[in-house]
Amino acid sequence: MHTEALSALGDLFGDRLRTSLETRICYSFGATRKTFLPDAVVYPVNAEEVRRTVLLANLHRFPVVPRGAGSGFSGGSLPVRGGVVLSTERMDRIVSIDTENLYAIVEPGVVNGTLKEEARKKGLFYPPDPASLKFSTLGGNIAECAGGMCAVKYGVTRDYVLALEAVLGTGELIRTGVATVKGVVGYDLTRMLVGSEGTLGIVTRATLRLIPLPEAATTLLALFDGNRRSVEAVNAIVAARVTPSAMELMDRTAIDCVQALMPVPLPEGTGSALLLEVDGPEGQVVREADLLTEVCRAHGALEVRRASDAGGRDELWKLRRSISPSLLRVAPVKLNEDIVVPRSRLADMFAFLSDLSARKNVRIVNFGHAGDGNIHVNIMISGEDADETRRADEAVGEVFRKTVEMGGTISGEHGVGISKAPFLEMEVGPLGVAVMKRLKECFDPNGILNPGKIFLEESAVRE
Amino acid sequence: MNDPDLKALTGLCAKCGTCRTVCTLYPERKAEIAVARGKIALIEAAMGGEDGDAEAVQEALTDCLLCGRCERACPNQVLVEEIVMKGRADLAEEVGIPAWKRVLFGKVMTSPAATGIARKAAAAAQRLLPGKIPTASGLNYRFPDGLGGEGRTVPKLPAAGFLESLGNAEAATGEVMLFVGCVFDHVFPEVGRAAYETVKASGKSVAVFRDAACCGLPAMVSGDRRSAAECAEANVRRLRDADPGAIVFPCGSCLLMFKRNVFSLMPKGSPGYDDAVFVAERAVDYASFLLSSGVLDRIPDPPPGQEVGEIGYHDPCHLSGTLGKGPEARKVLSRTVGPAFAEMAGADLCCGYGGTFNVRDYPTSSRIGENKVTVAARGGTKVISTACSGCVLQMRDMAARTDPGLRVVHVAELVHQALFRK
Repeated sequence: MHTEALSALGDLFGDRLRTSLETRICYSFGATRKTFLPDAVVYPVNAEEVRRTVLLANLHRFPVVPRGAGSGFSGGSLPVRGGVVLSTERMDRIVSIDTENLYAIVEPGVVNGTLKEEARKKGLFYPPDPASLKFSTLGGNIAECAGGMCAVKYGVTRDYVLALEAVLGTGELIRTGVATVKGVVGYDLTRMLVGSEGTLGIVTRATLRLIPLPEAATTLLALFDGNRRSVEAVNAIVAARVTPSAMELMDRTAIDCVQALMPVPLPEGTGSALLLEVDGPEGQVVREADLLTEVCRAHGALEVRRASDAGGRDELWKLRRSISPSLLRVAPVKLNEDIVVPRSRLADMFAFLSDLSARKNVRIVNFGHAGDGNIHVNIMISGEDADETRRADEAVGEVFRKTVEMGGTISGEHGVGISKAPFLEMEVGPLGVAVMKRLKECFDPNGILNPGKIFLEESAVRE
Repeated sequence: MNDPDLKALTGLCAKCGTCRTVCTLYPERKAEIAVARGKIALIEAAMGGEDGDAEAVQEALTDCLLCGRCERACPNQVLVEEIVMKGRADLAEEVGIPAWKRVLFGKVMTSPAATGIARKAAAAAQRLLPGKIPTASGLNYRFPDGLGGEGRTVPKLPAAGFLESLGNAEAATGEVMLFVGCVFDHVFPEVGRAAYETVKASGKSVAVFRDAACCGLPAMVSGDRRSAAECAEANVRRLRDADPGAIVFPCGSCLLMFKRNVFSLMPKGSPGYDDAVFVAERAVDYASFLLSSGVLDRIPDPPPGQEVGEIGYHDPCHLSGTLGKGPEARKVLSRTVGPAFAEMAGADLCCGYGGTFNVRDYPTSSRIGENKVTVAARGGTKVISTACSGCVLQMRDMAARTDPGLRVVHVAELVHQALFRK
């Protein structure tokens, strides 16, 4: 970056502009194990500073990469073309929670779990629950349209974003949407920004819908001999017209992984597990939990465990929560994909993955949100064996092709970022890509915002 | 920086961000460089040959309280404390250790006699301090601004340490050894005394460890592994020679040193390793010893008049967190003071002391500490009890600054009071 640009940023940010190598290193990573050094890091505290940063970027032509907690899985916050990392971590106020109209106004750096907790104190509920909810920021959640466990019942981030304030790539500050549930005036620019991965605008304030906090919840852990039966149970539950707030499936690969490192006692022959949760009014929760137990038993569950108190529920979640941490102990590198297939194709997809693992001779660990067809496919490799890495890359390609063939999507909640950019066209087609590029042109004509993401080409700031 | 151990330790960090949620310092700094994964990224970059400024990296690694919350929350169980301490040590070789620390760790803390002399000199100098603040926990002096932090107060140092107050033949040998620690010997000898007399109430013969060098933790966390190892080696050798059945630690940080950190300095295969294992197997925290020794059965029922819930317990990071000894102290308190003990608001919040962190950045350390005691007081606590020397030092200072009526005591003082009240 030019010294002129840096000195202008210095005038704007004072000691909240950092250019030391040490700070730059600390903003060179996300949760992907890839690193790219930015030229500088700024910590704005209000929308005006964000706006002026982007104006300077247009003047001096440097990239601006917005970053929340840097916990993304697709590289969304990585400064792949250098430039300035704009960290939202000091814009972390919950501006207000409106208990009459049921919404919250937040700055982008507020952590998801913090809003959940503050809403809970007022008897309200902000449902989106990515696994990173304790540390990921709402700005990042909006940029990536984060999903989570409860998507099967409550939907994903986009279903809770009513209105946004954002700085476009031009440096203009736009307000989109309204704080009411209904609103159809003009194009839906709010939804345009949600999931745009920081390439169209930088969210500086968001109005998020809240719902009444469910009165009670019950967790069930159903253990099966294999995926075939557990997937059948999932479909039977849906057919029984019950919508659990979580339907997590762990296949044999994931169970083995956990058992090797932090064993949870399970019945002999367990080859698949379903973690189910129902929430709502007390009486309904009991009825639904009874029904789920019945359905699971009817589909050959070896055992169904159940808990309604916090401690017991926590114990049942242990198996599911232990998967991710145990993965890194299996192999140092994981290619972490988050495909979605129509629910009715889940069993076929699991069978395909099992065959693929054998054909390519790579270890694949599968688990995920069975209720909405979202599977986390983790291809585990050493990272030091070139042939293994090649086979793993081929496997990823095959998984994506199969997913699209089944009418699914190659990313349910992680986003495209850099990791799925080569596969964008495979899913959305050439016209889809072309229209997206035209939209990008309109929001960010100079390619300032987060260059190098989503699209393979046109990934640099225009001179 | 090229330590193979360090490489293996940092390699487990997935940079997921969990550490951001629990870091004591992060809310103060709101920058990635403050948290574990930022520090690990710096160490990885340095090991990868990134040509950075060693002093700046050392500065970043030093900006950490070593409270260990990140380590305990980490889904991959990354040993952050060990990584940060090793990193500091590697960098100390490049950039050196600040001169004041070098004298303190290398000369004063390795020698029991020198620490006594240093205290006497400091006690004499204290009389020159201008402001006196009587607090519920004793007299504190206001420290001159500009000399180690705006608004700092320090406890009035006693004329004699606890060890000095013992007769020559007193507590010289016994089946139980008491490791008093520097602070409870020299700064708060009443704690050393209370611990001694309550441990003695078990009916077992108790020896007080007199040849103690400093436990070595202050040197170790400052990257001065050589001084730390000298302290540790001398201590474990002398302790083994004394051949006690149990070694009781009123201070959680000293205990951590002998239970865990010592094996980083004296790993398997090193000359003193067997001695270190001997000590680690016998080392026990004060509360656990009381629970196992029958002392508590001798405590009469708590006297009436104490307010329900006025006594709280502060979890020292190392003792409750790293070593998992939180429930034991609570059991002791329930038995000792009855319903006067209640769970304290923010019990597990770090006090912000962080050993040398408090000296290097007093403003931040005191903001964290003031918040700690304020949250507790607002929750209705009037007496904060704890079991670590750093926490007592810090919270007495914080109480003197915010609420001189708030008492800060060691659990042993409460037990002593209950056992021996007339």
